[in-house]
Amino acid sequence: MEEKRHTSAEYERELREIKDGLLYLGAMTEKALEKGSIALLERNSELARQIVCEDDQIDQLDVMLEEKCIRLLALRQPAARDLRFITTAIKITGHLERIGDMAAKIAEKILILNDLPQIKPYIDLPRMVEIVRGMIRKSLDALVRGDVEQAERVRQEDTVIDQLNDQIFRELLTFMMNDPHTIQVCLYIMQISKSLERIADHTEGIADMVIYMVTGKVVRHQPACVENK
Amino acid sequence: MKTGLIAKFLLAFVATGILVAAAAEFFIERQLKADLIRWVEDEMTAEANIIALMPMEEIAKHAVELAERTRSRLTLIDAQGRIIADTDLRDIEIDSHLNRSEIQQARLKGNGSSIRYSHSLKMDMLYVAFLLGDQKRPKGYIRLSRSYQEVTGPINQLRKTVRQNLLLAVFFSLLITLLFSLRLISPIRKLAAYTEKARMGNIAGQIRIDTRDEIGTMAENINTMVDVLNEKIRNADEERRQLQAVFSGMVEGILVLDPCKRIETINRGMEEIIGSRAGEIVGRTLLEAFRNIPLHDALERFRATREKVVQEITLEDEHPVVLDVTISAVQGKDGGEQKTMLVFHDVTRLKKLERIRTDFVANVTHEIRTPLTAIIGFVETLQQGAIDDRGKTLQFLQTIHENAQRLNRLVDDLLILTGIESGETGFHPDWLSIDGALDQALTVVAERISEKRLKLIKELRQDLPPIRTDGDRLTQILLNILDNAVKFTPEGGTITVSAFPGAEQDLIVRITDTGVGIPKGEISRLGERFYRADKTRSRELGGTGLGLSIVKHLMKEHQGRMVIESSPGHGTTVSLHFPYVQEST
Repeated sequence: MEEKRHTSAEYERELREIKDGLLYLGAMTEKALEKGSIALLERNSELARQIVCEDDQIDQLDVMLEEKCIRLLALRQPAARDLRFITTAIKITGHLERIGDMAAKIAEKILILNDLPQIKPYIDLPRMVEIVRGMIRKSLDALVRGDVEQAERVRQEDTVIDQLNDQIFRELLTFMMNDPHTIQVCLYIMQISKSLERIADHTEGIADMVIYMVTGKVVRHQPACVENK
Repeated sequence: MKTGLIAKFLLAFVATGILVAAAAEFFIERQLKADLIRWVEDEMTAEANIIALMPMEEIAKHAVELAERTRSRLTLIDAQGRIIADTDLRDIEIDSHLNRSEIQQARLKGNGSSIRYSHSLKMDMLYVAFLLGDQKRPKGYIRLSRSYQEVTGPINQLRKTVRQNLLLAVFFSLLITLLFSLRLISPIRKLAAYTEKARMGNIAGQIRIDTRDEIGTMAENINTMVDVLNEKIRNADEERRQLQAVFSGMVEGILVLDPCKRIETINRGMEEIIGSRAGEIVGRTLLEAFRNIPLHDALERFRATREKVVQEITLEDEHPVVLDVTISAVQGKDGGEQKTMLVFHDVTRLKKLERIRTDFVANVTHEIRTPLTAIIGFVETLQQGAIDDRGKTLQFLQTIHENAQRLNRLVDDLLILTGIESGETGFHPDWLSIDGALDQALTVVAERISEKRLKLIKELRQDLPPIRTDGDRLTQILLNILDNAVKFTPEGGTITVSAFPGAEQDLIVRITDTGVGIPKGEISRLGERFYRADKTRSRELGGTGLGLSIVKHLMKEHQGRMVIESSPGHGTTVSLHFPYVQEST
């Protein structure tokens, strides 16, 4: 996105601070998910506890960012493009904060899972985490560059996550039917999978906001158009 | 600007000329007019004086003649102001003339004069009056009058002449000024053109002006200035180029942030570190470009303290890169906004080496301690009385022997490895066929192959060229690989040994098994000493963890390489590439 200079350097700086804040928050949530993946695979409970603790930080950042946005709205009375950016930023921080919460929830489930016997090596869950992390990264990339195509790709990837979620569900169902002892573990795994699916939805929300910010078009609540290229 | 100077000169000259001429004309005209009036008045007064000698009747009788002779209009007025005679009277003026100013002056002083508009003649007239008789009993007045044009005529004539001359003078002075200013302006123009060219950064040669005046001096000064400037520019250029070379030649990545925290420049080292994204990070903030929290925090720390910050960060792309970042200020002009410089030092390799070294120490201790513990344990048990039980004793001694041998093998392998690494045990190359060494190695493992009922397939082309190798070393390489293949292939599996010329002027020996395989992530670490893909199983099978390490080093001595491909659960293929080394001697 080409960046026009504002007459007021101070205003310019404040806008950039908001953008940087969003990226920082995004990087934190992404990191939380990465740690979650490691905590799950290596059964590292210490790491999982760390994630739960770090969620407070994410929450604080969210509040701070939102305050900054509102301050800017009140003091500078931005118009057009800047107004769209700031309102978008407020929504995106909300999404990121929710992602952080989800990551913390996942970490709590991992803590429990790590104390239970493992029924099979995790294969689909780490894949999901990888894809979701990629989605967060890409949606923020789209924000940085104002790249609508990238945002559109994120929206399309959401369907992959939905499929993986269903797949995990079916697989766990067979496990539970075979051996009722696995039900507890399976339910926790399902919750994790569900949380990941929710995170993917939030990244889709971010992508929607990026599209709105750049083009002014509202694509929320519309299915992603999957192009066959 | 070019016409400006000349125009200014000309304007100044013309203005001065006109001003001088106007002043001269004004003063001369005033003086001349006064003189002329006095002169005409004097003449008329003298004439009136002469006429006054005549009696009034005579005057009246000869009025026309007198008027002609004096070239004036003559009016004779009696004491009551009535006109007695008038030589040029078109309408008879019946009113009294006593109130005329010249008459009044004459009645008081004897004569008088005035310049008035004559209603009867409709023109300005110069009047002179003379009293007849004496002042107590005036008999009448003689009045002579002439046209005022007699005075203004010559003055107008003069004015015309002066103006004509003036025009001529102005024209010539303009011409002279033009020539003069052209002469003056030409070197100035030359200077202007030269400095203009210099301003555009296009300085070539010197300016030549031959005048010896101030302009000449100025040209001289400009020449000197340009020389000095050129020298300075050349120096700065040279310096800049050197810095540029250093900047781009450095292995370390350098990134400069402008005062607004945006990335301003990066050097080639940085481009190499970040790879394909290099083009798009300029102009972005650090967070936008790297999305790395520790890096951002480090920058914030630096901005808060303004002190050098060193931080280790990991960039997680496809290949994670560990970087040491040093953040410091770029000293700008005094008081100006500061830029920030980040120096990235790629320590990925260093970190890996460090890990290998610590792993090595930990491993070697572990490898030595395990058999030693077993030996000490069994010896102690024997000492404490087990020696009396012959059956147990033999069993224990067997275990002690095995462990001692394992230690021995370990020390042997370590020695070999150290020998190869230091290059002390000489490499004695010779032209050999691969067959001999392969047979030797196969003999060693033959027994175990048949024990595990493995199928051995040999696919050797008959016409294989000899390779430059040391026989013992080649046997060692093949033995180590075959040993691994046998170890990790479950009973009933297949081992295939093939050799064929490769595409790159080399001979490839390929040993394929249907064993347990190696996970993808581990393959790159297999050459490390004591690195085991499957730690427990390898040790159970009596491996020292040094076999592939030895092979790797030996292949290096052959200037060849080892390529391992594997899929877990299906088997492993080890390809040994021996180049046909061209012996120069």
